[in-house]
Amino acid sequence: MTLHDFRYPAAILALIICYFFGDTYFISLLVIIALHSMAAIGLSLLSGYAGQISLGHAAFYGIGAYTSALIALHIGITPWITIPMSAVIAGIVAWAVGPIMFRLKGHHLAMATLAFGIIVHVALVEMRGITGGPNGMGGIPPLSFFGTPLLFDEDIFPLVWGVVIVMILLSENLIRSPHGFTLRAVGAREHVVPTLGSDTNKSKCLVLIISAVFAAIAGAIYGHYIGYLSPGPFSTTFSVKLLVMVAIGGFSRIWGVVLGVIFVTFLSEWLKPFGNVELLFYGALLIFTMIYCPNGLLSQLGVVASNAARNLRQRTPS
Amino acid sequence: MTSADTSALLTVRNVSMHFGGLKALNDVSFDVIKGEVLSLIGPNGAGKTTMLKIASGAQAPTTGKIAYKGTQIIGLSADRINRLGIGRTFQAAEIFDTMTVRENVMTGAVAREAGSVASSLLYWGRAKQRVEKLRQIADEALDLVGLGDMADLPAQDLPTGQQRLLGFARIFATGAELLLLDEPGGGLNAVEKTRLIETIRRLRDLGRTVILVEHDMSVIAQVSDRIVVLDQGLKISEGTPEKVKSDPKVIEAYLGTSASTVAPKPQKDQPAFRPVEMEVVDLTVTYGQTVAVDNVSLKLRTGEILTILGANGAGKSSLLKAIAGLEKPAGGTIKLRDKHIAGIPPDKIAALGLCLTPEGRALFPSLSVADNLALGRYVSLKRKRGLLGILALRQEDRDEIDAKREEIYQLFPILKERANQKAGTLSGGQGQMLAIGRSLMNDPSILMLDEPSLGLAPQVIDEILHKLEHLREQGLTLILVEQNASAALRIADRGYVFSSGRISMQGPAQDLLEDPSIRDAYLGGDDANTQTLRVNATQ
Repeated sequence: MTLHDFRYPAAILALIICYFFGDTYFISLLVIIALHSMAAIGLSLLSGYAGQISLGHAAFYGIGAYTSALIALHIGITPWITIPMSAVIAGIVAWAVGPIMFRLKGHHLAMATLAFGIIVHVALVEMRGITGGPNGMGGIPPLSFFGTPLLFDEDIFPLVWGVVIVMILLSENLIRSPHGFTLRAVGAREHVVPTLGSDTNKSKCLVLIISAVFAAIAGAIYGHYIGYLSPGPFSTTFSVKLLVMVAIGGFSRIWGVVLGVIFVTFLSEWLKPFGNVELLFYGALLIFTMIYCPNGLLSQLGVVASNAARNLRQRTPS
Repeated sequence: MTSADTSALLTVRNVSMHFGGLKALNDVSFDVIKGEVLSLIGPNGAGKTTMLKIASGAQAPTTGKIAYKGTQIIGLSADRINRLGIGRTFQAAEIFDTMTVRENVMTGAVAREAGSVASSLLYWGRAKQRVEKLRQIADEALDLVGLGDMADLPAQDLPTGQQRLLGFARIFATGAELLLLDEPGGGLNAVEKTRLIETIRRLRDLGRTVILVEHDMSVIAQVSDRIVVLDQGLKISEGTPEKVKSDPKVIEAYLGTSASTVAPKPQKDQPAFRPVEMEVVDLTVTYGQTVAVDNVSLKLRTGEILTILGANGAGKSSLLKAIAGLEKPAGGTIKLRDKHIAGIPPDKIAALGLCLTPEGRALFPSLSVADNLALGRYVSLKRKRGLLGILALRQEDRDEIDAKREEIYQLFPILKERANQKAGTLSGGQGQMLAIGRSLMNDPSILMLDEPSLGLAPQVIDEILHKLEHLREQGLTLILVEQNASAALRIADRGYVFSSGRISMQGPAQDLLEDPSIRDAYLGGDDANTQTLRVNATQ
């Protein structure tokens, strides 16, 4: 438990150091990492702890981004209010589609979530009158803090990481709460859960709503931060990328997922010169992880490291 | 017990469950009295687990009613039924292996102590108190089953016996008053069984009511207040353990019908002088911590029918799977003629002429009867011609399949009538014939059959057994694993009786058939034996 308590201050300290000593490029990467972490943490609750695969999580990210931007643009409310509004809307969408999707299991559920992701993406492309279609929509008002717009990476950095820390805290709370037990039980052996008096569908819908809200908040902040939205970033590719991040982080490890996001983000930066070949690389990485490191690439590396350390300690006389 | 009995906690009335043509339960009625341990017993396929599934809401019966404390529970969801007070365990322990022992049990209590989602996310005072409460409930339940010391271990590290007890603690924590325990004794050793018995008694002493489905008769005899016996979906007996054990109908259900039309045959020649086809030496098969087959040695002679008998969980199927290469033995050797086959892959073993017709038939339900048979030939065809040879069948191969199929049709004429019908639409008996036929398509020299009589009517069993005799006359060697001991011994040359993974008796089929002590292997040994085990375990 001591290690557990250390994580928050250690993370905050590391962030502060990065904030003051990192260059602009590094800071902008960290902002992207924070936004992706929010969505990935939610997906980890859904696919990791509760064991319900989602290949359409980018949809909630997109719903959050577009609803918040549209409300802010057309009604002129401050993003501080439209972001929570978009989260609520995404939550309502999840509440509505959850009971339908969770009639399915396994491969069929994966197909349904994939279809959901594609439907939302097509809607973003085709509803030209509202979303601007493939041309996108610009002029999205930025978040502002006491009159100062948060335009630059340095400005938004404390906000996005603050939100990530809060989401980690909420997720860890959920996991150790009574609801968390049911979630994990659904993930481990779903058919046993009804015999213990809990409704599996209720549990799954609950976690879908929570993960949708997390993704929507990430998407909404992304929209106000970039100032311009097009459907591209909300396609199935992003859903798969999120799943890769969660898998590498070890599915059901909240902190591990953040490390997974960091790993994949830096990797995709290095792979940028290769263009679309990066997708091939993700595929290979995912297969490797699933076969050899079912608890996550990074935690497997951790196991290897701690074994090596133990061997070293045993060799040195105490 | 009459239905007027007011102390009945659960009343089951005229419950039937039909799966297509199969009547898994047929008009079953009984009462469960508050505070008793009622055992539900019967041979494989009797409908016991189906009964538990219906009573716990996992399945809805075709017809019939079940009331718990006067409330009709048919049609309610499984989680509702649990919250009313009925808890069920599974045949496998089904523990949550990603959690610790304590967390497993805490999960059981969540339904009554969950609280709001908001408090769970924020983990303020109330949620903390609730988790503390769950922990208390869990620790009490763990102490009850004697796992208190292991609360913080990962649940998957527990041996099978303790995982079962963990399952008990978990449903105990749900607060259920009526506990449905599905084969808790399966795969446990003597010491573990003693703990199991003590735990069930303790649950009863705490005022819980138990319905126990179990195959181990020594467990049944020690904990049951009353017993209900099912056979092929029908209730055939009910009463105290003593009464049930001596009920001729029960004995017949377990050992098979004595009115069989298959007459025992005098041995034509002494099988002991025939050459040994296969020899198994010191074979051991384990599943994790559970020892299914324990140092078994046996011989199979050319052209005989060898039958392997024993109660459910005695290790018969595991033995066949090990021989067929489907389970890797933990120790021992298997010699087929002069070749060691232990541990080599199943398709290589099949290529040597050793075929297994598995329990439950494993047909391809969406393929026609003719195609199912052809598939039996494809394996050897692929070996001969490669994948391309199957994708584009040569005329000679086609003729060969047709000729072989015609042989099968001669053996089982009904299959010819049904040749273009989907295998899924066959009756149980026809399905079994098709499964045997498919194995024969491969031209085996040894055919192993795992419970071919399972769920079949006596006349159909007789017909199939006659066919097996016919196959022996044609020179096939057979291993027949059966629960229906009388029927199997009537056609077999020799038999081995398994109990708890070991050979407890062996000899010529005729001798075994007349030996009264074979009943003990099925209906439980003498009580003195289990008493000594108890003493040893408590020391």
